[in-house]
Amino acid sequence: MIASVVATLEGPPNATARLLSSLRALPGVETGPFDETTRRLPITIESPTPMALEETTRHLRECRGVAFVDVVFVHFETEPEHPEADFR
Amino acid sequence: MGNGETPAIDVIQRRQFMKATAMAAATAVAGGPPYALPVLADEPADGAEGVEWNKAPCRFCGTGCHVQVGVQGGKVVAVAGDRNAEVNKGLLCVKGYHVGSALYGSDRLTKPLLRDGDGYREISWQEAIKTIADRVEAAPERFAFYGSGQWTIPEGYAAQKFMKGGLANNHIDPNARLCMASAVTGFLATYGVDEPAGCYDDLDACDVLIMWGNNPAEMHPVLFSRVVDRRSRGEQITLIDISTRRTRTTEACQHYLEMRGHGDLAIANGVAHLLIKNGTYDREFVESYCNFKVPDDANPNLHGKPISFDEYKKQLEPYTPEHVEELSGVPADQIRMLGDLFGNPDLKITSLWCMGMNQHTRGTAINTLVHGIHLLSGHFGTPGDAPTSLTGQPSACGTVREVGTLAHTLPGGRVVANEAHRQQTEEFWNLPAGRINATPGFHTVKMWESFCTPTDQGGEIGTIWVQVTNPGQTLPNLNKLFNPKGKRDAGLADKFLIVSDVYPTATTRLADLILPSAMWVEKNGIFGNSERRTQQWFKMVDPPGDARDDCWQTIAVAHELFERGLKGMADRDGRFLFEQKQDDQPVPIWEWEHYYDINVDEGLFEEYRQFTRMKHKDLAPYVEYVNTRGMRWPVVEKDGTWKETRLRFSEGYDPYVEEGRGVQFYHSPTDDDRAQIWFQPWVPPAEVPDEEYPFMLCTGRVLEHWHTGTMTRRIPQLNRAMPGGYLEMNEADAAAHDLENGDQVKIESRRGSLVMPIWIHGRGQPPEGTVFIPFFDETVLVNDLTLDAIDPFSKQPDYKKSAVRIKKVS
Ligand code: SF4
Repeated sequence: MIASVVATLEGPPNATARLLSSLRALPGVETGPFDETTRRLPITIESPTPMALEETTRHLRECRGVAFVDVVFVHFETEPEHPEADFR
Repeated sequence: MGNGETPAIDVIQRRQFMKATAMAAATAVAGGPPYALPVLADEPADGAEGVEWNKAPCRFCGTGCHVQVGVQGGKVVAVAGDRNAEVNKGLLCVKGYHVGSALYGSDRLTKPLLRDGDGYREISWQEAIKTIADRVEAAPERFAFYGSGQWTIPEGYAAQKFMKGGLANNHIDPNARLCMASAVTGFLATYGVDEPAGCYDDLDACDVLIMWGNNPAEMHPVLFSRVVDRRSRGEQITLIDISTRRTRTTEACQHYLEMRGHGDLAIANGVAHLLIKNGTYDREFVESYCNFKVPDDANPNLHGKPISFDEYKKQLEPYTPEHVEELSGVPADQIRMLGDLFGNPDLKITSLWCMGMNQHTRGTAINTLVHGIHLLSGHFGTPGDAPTSLTGQPSACGTVREVGTLAHTLPGGRVVANEAHRQQTEEFWNLPAGRINATPGFHTVKMWESFCTPTDQGGEIGTIWVQVTNPGQTLPNLNKLFNPKGKRDAGLADKFLIVSDVYPTATTRLADLILPSAMWVEKNGIFGNSERRTQQWFKMVDPPGDARDDCWQTIAVAHELFERGLKGMADRDGRFLFEQKQDDQPVPIWEWEHYYDINVDEGLFEEYRQFTRMKHKDLAPYVEYVNTRGMRWPVVEKDGTWKETRLRFSEGYDPYVEEGRGVQFYHSPTDDDRAQIWFQPWVPPAEVPDEEYPFMLCTGRVLEHWHTGTMTRRIPQLNRAMPGGYLEMNEADAAAHDLENGDQVKIESRRGSLVMPIWIHGRGQPPEGTVFIPFFDETVLVNDLTLDAIDPFSKQPDYKKSAVRIKKVS
C-alpha cells in the first residue's frame, strides 16, 4: 500500500522543526519539502497492509502540531482487503 | 477502462514509481497556490502501468469532492484527490480515501432474491421485474417509491417520471426529507426559490465563519480543512461554533456558544434585536431589497403574513441578550459578541448549517431566521457574505431539490398543486392533458406510517420500492414507522417491500424482494452537490454478478407495464415513456444487454434540462459536464462558452440580475424582487427532559462512517477505526450514575430501548443532561428511540431532541 497525504502544521518554528524530525522517524513515512508559506507538508506512507496505513494516518492526525491531514493519493498495491465487516 | 490483464512489471520498480507519483501529487498540492493548482499529470500513473484514470465525484457526502479513479484489470485499484477540482483541490477526507474499497465488500448483493418463508430464493431479473409489475398493476394508487439524495440525477428523474407521469401517482419521496427538507422550505419562504445564493468560494473570502449546529470537521472535512488551512497560512478568520455539544469543530474555533435544543431560535432573534437596538442593521439594504413577515397562525403556510418594520421591531423587543440567555443557555455576552460581528459592515460573514438546523421541529423557522439576520445586517450578496446550507448526501440538491423527487414537486422547481406547472410538465413529457395528479403524495413519515398500518385500518400504501437508501435504519421511531413490517401479528401480510441496494442492510432484512444494484463507478452518473455544482462521471468497471443500474430497473418495470398495456406508460402518441433513439430507431434500453448501447443518462439529462430554465437553475448540455469537474448553476451560454454562477441574485455575478439593480431576488414570493425577513418566535422542543426521562438525546454522524455505515462499515480500516455505536456522556452525569467508560447501559425513551456501551467525553463532549449516539451502527439502532415529530412545513423529523433515561446494565 502506498499513499500520500498533506499535513497542515501549526505552532512556532522550533516546535515545527521538532515535529518534522519526529515525523521523519516514523517507519514507512517519507516527508517532502515543508512549504513555509502554506504550512503544508507532503508525506508518503508505505505500509504492508491497509490497516497499517490507516494506523499511520491516524497517528499523524493525532500528533501535536498537526492541524489537519488530507489524503491526496492511495494505491491498493495488492488486492484490496475486503473481509466481511465484523458486525455480521 | 482497464484492459483486464495486469502487465508483468517489476514489483520494486512499480513501487518506486507509485511512490514517486504519490509524492509528486502530495508535493504539488502542498506547494500549489490555493486557487490555481497546477495540473497533476492527468493520468497519475501512465499507461505503461496499466492503470487507466478517470474522474468522478466522491460517492459519499454532499461536499462533492472529485477523485481520480484508477482502474486496472476491471477493478478500481487506486484513488487520488483530483487537483483539477475546485471543490477539493486534490484533497480527500478519510472516507474519500477509501471510496474505492466501498465497491468490494464480500457480501455484495449479486442476484435478485424473493422472500420464501423465512428465507429467500434466487430469482431471475425477468421474474423480479414481473413481480414488481404485478404489484403495480394490481393497485397503482397504493404503490409508493422511496428514493434518495444518493440517486443520480437520471435515476431520480426516471423514478419521478415513472410515478408522476406514468402512474399519475405522487407517492414518491426521498430520504432527503429526513435531512434537508427544512433548508428547502427556509429558502422558499425567504427567496421564493430553493438553494444557496453563495458557494464554497465564500469559505475562502469570509472573515467570520459561523457554524450553526454543524460539525464540518467530521461531516464535511475537506471544506473545513480549507478554512483551517487559511488560518495556518496566517490569515485572520474567526470561527464560531454554536452547538449543543463540543465536537472536533469546536477545537478549531475561537468561540464556542453552547446552547440548549431550540436555543438557536432565540439566538437568531437576539442578534436581530441587537442589530435594530444598536442601529447597526443595514438600513439601505433592507429598504431596497427586503420585506418583513410573521407566521400566519390561522392559516399556516410558507407565505405568512406581511408586517411593517416597526411591527417586526416590536416582535423582537423581548429578545434581549439576557432573555436569550435564559432561553438558550448562551451567556448574554456571547450574544452581544455575535450582534457586534453582524453589526460590523467591514466584515464578511458566512453561516454554515446542516442537520442541526434542519432536523428540528422548527426547522423552517430557524432557517428563515438565519437568512433573516444576514439580510438585516446586509451580510449578503458579496463573496464571503452568505448564509449557506450544506447537504449530507452527494446529490440531495441535484436529484431531490432540482429534479423535484419530493411528494409535492415536479422537476425544475414546479409543484403538482399548480395547474400551470402540471401543464408545462405534461407538455415536456408529451403526456395527455390532465395526466398528472394535482394532489401531493405522502411525505416520508406519512408514507411509512401508512405502509405500517393495516389496510383495513386505513393504511393506504401497499407496496414501497426503496432505491439507494436504508429507511430501516434512518426513519425516526422505527418501532412505529418500520419495524411493524417484520411482525407476524401486525396485520401487514398483504404489504410488500422491494429494496434495491448493493449490500444487505437493516432495510433488506424485512424486504420481500431484494434487487442487486450497481454503485458509483459501476454505472454512469450525475450528482449535484451542496454548492449547486452538477458533476458527471462515466461507468468505469462492471458491477458484480447480476447487479444492475437502478435507472435500468425503473425503466425495465415501466416497459413491462407498457407491454401489458398500462396506458400511463405511453405518451400521448402511444410511445413508451422512456423511449430513446439512435439513428432514429428506438433502442431497447429496457433489455439489460442494450442498456449501454447508448448513453441513457445523457438522453434523460437532456430531457430534464428543459425544466431547469424555468426557475433559472439552467444546466448546460451533458457534454459540457464531461470535460469539467462540475459547474454551478445557473450555467448560461455566453459568447459560445457555458458560464457558471458563483453568486446568485447579485449583479455582476448572476446573469439573471438586471443591470443597475444591485441585488435582485427575481423569484421573490411577494413578486417585488425582495427577500423576506421573518420573525419567528422561540418555542420549546417537541419533547423535553423531565423526571421520568431526564436526558436529552442527540443523534448524529462520525467522521469515519458515512450515514448508516452500509458502505464504510465494509471498509475494514474505517470499521476498525470506529467499530461500533456508543453513548457519549458527560463526566459528571456518568459519575452521578456510577458509570465508567465501557459500561453497558440501557437507554430508554417513550418509544423504545437499546443497550450499548458508554463513552465518557468521547469523540465529542456533551454538557450535563445531554447524551449523544451516532446512527451508523445497524446493530444498535438509535432510531428505535427517536421521536417522529415533524416540522409543520418541511415535514422533516427532529433527530436531535428526544428525552431518554439511562440505567446501568449489570
Ligand atoms: S469530504 Fe465528503 S466528498 Fe469529500 S472526500 Fe470526504 S466524504 Fe468524499
